[in-house]
Amino acid sequence: MYLTLEQISKTFPARGGSGEVKAVIDADLQIEQGELVTLLGPSGCGKTTTLRMLAGFEFPTTGKIRLDGKIINDLPPNKRDMSMVFQSYAIFPHLNIFENVAYGLNVQHLSRSEITRRVGKVMELVELSGYEKRAPNQLSGGQQQRVALARALVMEPKVLLMDEPLSNLDAKLRESMRTEIRSIQRRLGITSVYVTHDQIEAMTLSDRIVVMNGGLIEQVGTPVEIYRFPRTRFVAGFIGRANFIEARVVNGQPANLVVKVYDQTIFLSKVKSSYPEGARMTLIARPEMIRINQESNLKGTVRRASYLGNFVDYDIDVAGQLITAVDNDPRQASIYTEGTTVGIELLADCIHILPA
Amino acid sequence: MTDIPSEIQTEIQAQHTPARKPSGFIQRYREFLLISRDPVLFMSLLFSGIFLFIFVFFPLARAISGGFFNPEGLFDLTYFGRYIDSYYGPVMRQIFWSTIQMGILSSVLGTLLGFVFAFAMVRCGIPGARWVHLIAMVPTVSPPFAIALSTILLFGRNGLITRRLLGLDYNVYGMHGLVFVQVITFFTVAYLILRAMLERLNPSMEEAAESLGAGRLRVFRTVILPLLIPGLAGSMLLLFVESLADLGNPMFIAGNLTVLSTQIFLAVIGEFDYQKASALSLVLLIPTLVVFLLQRYYVNRRSYISVTGKPSGKAVVEKSGLIRWTCIIITYITCILIILLYATVVVSSFTTAWGVNFSLTLRWWTDALTRGIEAVLDTTFLSALATPLAALTGMVIAFLIVRKKFSGKGLLDFGSNLGGAVPGTILGIGFILAFNKGQTAMSSILYAVLALFFIFYASPIRRQQVLILILGTSVGLAIHFLTPEIELDPLLYVFSGIYLGIALFSLIRRKKTGAIMFAGIGVYLALYNLVVFVADPIAKASRQLEIGFWNNAVFQLSDYVKVPFQLPPVLLGIALLFISALVVNSENSRWRLPIGILALGLPCALFFQGMPLALTSTPYIILAAYIVRSLPASVRAGAASLQQIDPSIEEASQILGADAQYTFRKVTIPLILPALLAGLIFSFTRHMTSLSAIIFLVTARWRIVTASIMSDFEQVGLMGASAYSTIIIVLVLIAIGIMNLIIRRMLRGRGDVDLSMGA
Repeated sequence: MYLTLEQISKTFPARGGSGEVKAVIDADLQIEQGELVTLLGPSGCGKTTTLRMLAGFEFPTTGKIRLDGKIINDLPPNKRDMSMVFQSYAIFPHLNIFENVAYGLNVQHLSRSEITRRVGKVMELVELSGYEKRAPNQLSGGQQQRVALARALVMEPKVLLMDEPLSNLDAKLRESMRTEIRSIQRRLGITSVYVTHDQIEAMTLSDRIVVMNGGLIEQVGTPVEIYRFPRTRFVAGFIGRANFIEARVVNGQPANLVVKVYDQTIFLSKVKSSYPEGARMTLIARPEMIRINQESNLKGTVRRASYLGNFVDYDIDVAGQLITAVDNDPRQASIYTEGTTVGIELLADCIHILPA
Repeated sequence: MTDIPSEIQTEIQAQHTPARKPSGFIQRYREFLLISRDPVLFMSLLFSGIFLFIFVFFPLARAISGGFFNPEGLFDLTYFGRYIDSYYGPVMRQIFWSTIQMGILSSVLGTLLGFVFAFAMVRCGIPGARWVHLIAMVPTVSPPFAIALSTILLFGRNGLITRRLLGLDYNVYGMHGLVFVQVITFFTVAYLILRAMLERLNPSMEEAAESLGAGRLRVFRTVILPLLIPGLAGSMLLLFVESLADLGNPMFIAGNLTVLSTQIFLAVIGEFDYQKASALSLVLLIPTLVVFLLQRYYVNRRSYISVTGKPSGKAVVEKSGLIRWTCIIITYITCILIILLYATVVVSSFTTAWGVNFSLTLRWWTDALTRGIEAVLDTTFLSALATPLAALTGMVIAFLIVRKKFSGKGLLDFGSNLGGAVPGTILGIGFILAFNKGQTAMSSILYAVLALFFIFYASPIRRQQVLILILGTSVGLAIHFLTPEIELDPLLYVFSGIYLGIALFSLIRRKKTGAIMFAGIGVYLALYNLVVFVADPIAKASRQLEIGFWNNAVFQLSDYVKVPFQLPPVLLGIALLFISALVVNSENSRWRLPIGILALGLPCALFFQGMPLALTSTPYIILAAYIVRSLPASVRAGAASLQQIDPSIEEASQILGADAQYTFRKVTIPLILPALLAGLIFSFTRHMTSLSAIIFLVTARWRIVTASIMSDFEQVGLMGASAYSTIIIVLVLIAIGIMNLIIRRMLRGRGDVDLSMGA
C-alpha cells in the first residue's frame, strides 16, 4: 500500500451562501507502488477534486492521505514529492522549453551540469530532443503535452498525477499519446494517478480503474473486472454499453442457475452463490453477448440497424424492451433490416448478475 | 474542475471538522490565523490597509465632517441651511441644479459621441482606424483644461474661427461652451467601454434575429441596444461623475455660470472658508455616491457580455450605408476637431497675442522654461516618483484582492477605488483638514496597530512579546516626553548611532542578515541629515550659473535629492517597524528582548515627534495625493492581468516545488510585467495631468504646473497657459514612447506571449 486515501471527503460551501456541495464522499483507495490507477467518471463526479486533494491544492474536509506510510494531509503541494500534468499543460509561456522542464530542478538549486544531464535524458524519453531552445508557442499541442510530461517526470517524483492530459488533443494524437504515456510509465515504474472521463483511455492505460459517480467510488478493479463484473448499474452503464434484463429465478442452485427471461428459460453457469426461487434479479448482457441466431426461440423485431464496417449495430425490440446487439462476424455479409424478425441468443456463460 | 480557489498555505493543521458550517466569528478568526502565518502576506495586508486608512478614509472622513463644524469646533449646519434659506437659497440651489444639468448633458452627449466612435470603429470598417483610435486617445493624455483653452482661442470673443473667419461676436462662455468642452474631453472613456462591448457582441445573435425576419432597425432596437445598455449606462454614469468632478474646464469657460466644483474652489482659495468648502463637498459627493452605488448594484448585475472574455472573431460590417456613413462622417469631423483644438494649443504658444497679433515669438516658451521651469520640474519629479509607488501599491492590493480570500476584502477593494472615484477637490480638502495639524490621536492608533504587528512577528514567545511591547513603548514615550525640545535632526543622529551599534553587535555574533539590515537602517537615518551635504553644494553650484533654465533646474535638483531621505517621522516610524519586525525574529531568543525593545522604542518616539502626520507643505502630501488618485487604475490593471493568468500555471509552479514567494517572483511577475508597465504609463499620465486633487496642496516650494496655470493666469495669459500645456503633453508623450519601447523590447524574446495560453 504505497498511496492510500482513508475515508476522504471534501465538502464545499455552495455558491450563494446557503448549503454545501459534497464533492467527494468517504473515499477509500489503496494504490500500489508502480501501478497506474485511473479515476474515471462523468463530469462532476469528484475525480478531479480527489486528484487535487492528492496534490495538495485542496484540503480534505475529513480523512487522511498517506504516502509511503506517512500522513501527508499537512504538507503543502510544494513539499509532497509529487508531480502533476495539467489538462491545460500549464507551460510557462515566458520560459523556453529547457527552462520549463528544468524549473523544478532550479527550485532545488541543483548544479547546472546535473540539470542539463537530467533534462537531456527526459527530453529524449519524450522524444523532444533538440527542442530545448524553442518557445512554448512554437510547439504543437502534442508537443506541449510532452513538455508538460517531461517537466513532471524530470522531478523523479514518488507519484505522478495526471488531470485529463489528453482531452485537448485530437483523436488520432490522443491514441498515440496514451500508448506513449503508458509505456513511459511502465518503463520508469512511477506510481501514477490518472483522471479522465474517457473510458477507452481508462481501459487502455490502467492497471486498475476507480469508477466514480456523484462523489462516491462505485467500483475499483482491473479493466476486466470493471467490464465483465460491474458491481453497480452505473458502472455497467458507464463502461461500454449494457442491456439490463430482468429475470426470475426458477432453480436457485449455483453452478447451474436457471432463470426465466422473456418467458424463455436460460441456464447461467459460473454463478458463485445461490438464490431463492422466485427471486427477481437484473442480468447484464453486453451487446456482443447477444447473438443473432435465427434458430433461437427468443424472437425480436429489428428497430434500427447501423452498418459500421467492422460490426453491425442493432437495436432489437424483444418483448417490449429495446436490446442493443452487436454482430461482428466478418463472414456475415447481410444485415437484418428494420422490421425483420430475428432470433436472438444470450450467451449464458458471459452474462453477469448485477449484485443487489 | 471546481472554481473555488485553493489557498496557498505554509503549515496547516489537518482539520477534522464536521460538515456543519462554522459560525462567522470563528471563521474570521481562523482566516486571520491562516493569513498571519505568512508574514509577507500579512505585511502586504497591513501595509495596504494602513495606506488606505491614512490617505483615503481618514481625509475623506475629515472632508465630510468638516462641513458640520464651525471654526470654533461647535456643531453647525449653517452652510447646509443655506440651501433652504430665503436669501442664499435660490443661488445655492441654482448652482446645484446647474451642476447636475451640466453633468447630465455632458454624460448623455459624451456617451452618444463615444458610441458613434465605437460603432464606426467596430462595425463600419472605418478607413484609418488606427489613426482614429490614436486621435481619440489624445484627450486622455492632456491637461484637463487644454480643450477649454483652445476652444476659447478658436471660438471665443477673439477666436480665430468666430471672429477672424466668420466675423461673429460669439460668446462661447457658459453652459454650451462648457458642455462642448467636456464632451470632447471625456468621450474617450465612453468610446473605450462601448468599443470593448461591441467587440464582444456575438454577431450570431443579430444574424439569428434577421433570419427570423427582423429588419435592421428592429434588430438594433431589440437585440443590440438591450445588450449594450450596461455599457451605455455605465458610460453615462462614469461621465457624469467626471463632469461633476471637473474643475479646470469650468474655471476657464463657464463664464457667469457657477458649478459646485468652482464654488468649492473659490471657498478655499478666495474665502479661506474650509467649513463652507467641506459642506459643499458633501453636497457634491452625494450625486457621486448615488452614481457609484447605481453602477455597482444595478448596472454591473445586468451585464450580459463578459468584458473579460475574448472578442468574437468575426468582423461584422453594418449593412445599412446610411448608418455606416453617418457614423464615419461624425467620427471624422470629431477627429478633425480634436486635431484642430490641440494644434491650436501648440501653435498659440508661439504667437505673441492670439487673436490680435499672430506674429511668432518664443517669448512664452523662454518664460516657461526659465521662470516656470521650477513648476515643470517639480511636477515631473513628483509624478515620476509617485509612479512606481502607485504601481507597487496597486499591485499588492490587486494580488490580495484577486488571489486571497479574507474578510474585509470588499473594504480593501472599495477603499482603493474610492480614492479615484471621489471628486479631486474633496480629496484635496480632506488632505488639508487631515494633515495640516499634528494628529496625535491618529498617530497613536497607528502606533498601536503596528506595535502589535511588531511583537507578533518579532518573537514567538508570549512573555517576550508582552515585555517588548511594554518596555519598548516606555522607551519611546520616555524619549518623547523627557526630551521635548530636541529637534528631529539631532535625534535621528542618535538613533542612527544606536542602530549602527546594534548592527555591529549582530555582526560580532555572526548574524549577517540582521547586521546588514540594521546597518542599512542606521545609514538611512544618518542620511536624513547627511544628505544636506550633497544638496547644499548642488544649490551653491546653481547660484554660480547664469539666471535661466540651468540655474533653476540645478537648484531644484538640490531639493529633489533630499526627498527620498527626509520622510516625515511617522512614515519613517512605520517603515522602520515593518523592516525590523522580521529582522528581530531571526535573532537568538536571548538577544531578542533587548534588541526588540530598542527596535520598537526608537520608532515609537518617532510617532509622537513634533507634529505627527502634519504633511501639508511637504512634497509627501502631493505624492500621496497622486498615488491615491491613480490607485484604482493600478489596481484594475494589476487585477486584470492577474486574472488572465491561468491558475494552473501557478499551481504547476507549486507542485514543482516552489513556495508562494518563488512562484510570485519567477512566474507571476514576469507574466504580468507588460500589463504592469502599461499601468505605469497610465499612472504617470494621470499624475502629470492631475489638477483638482493637488490644487490646494501646492506651496511656494513645491509647485505643480496645472495649478500654476490656474493661479498665474493673469500673468501668463492664454499663450503662457498654452505653452505650459504643450510642455505637459510633450512630456507625457515622451514617457509613453519610452515605455512602449521598453515593453516591446521585453516582449521580443517571448514572441507573441498570449497570457491566456494554457487556459
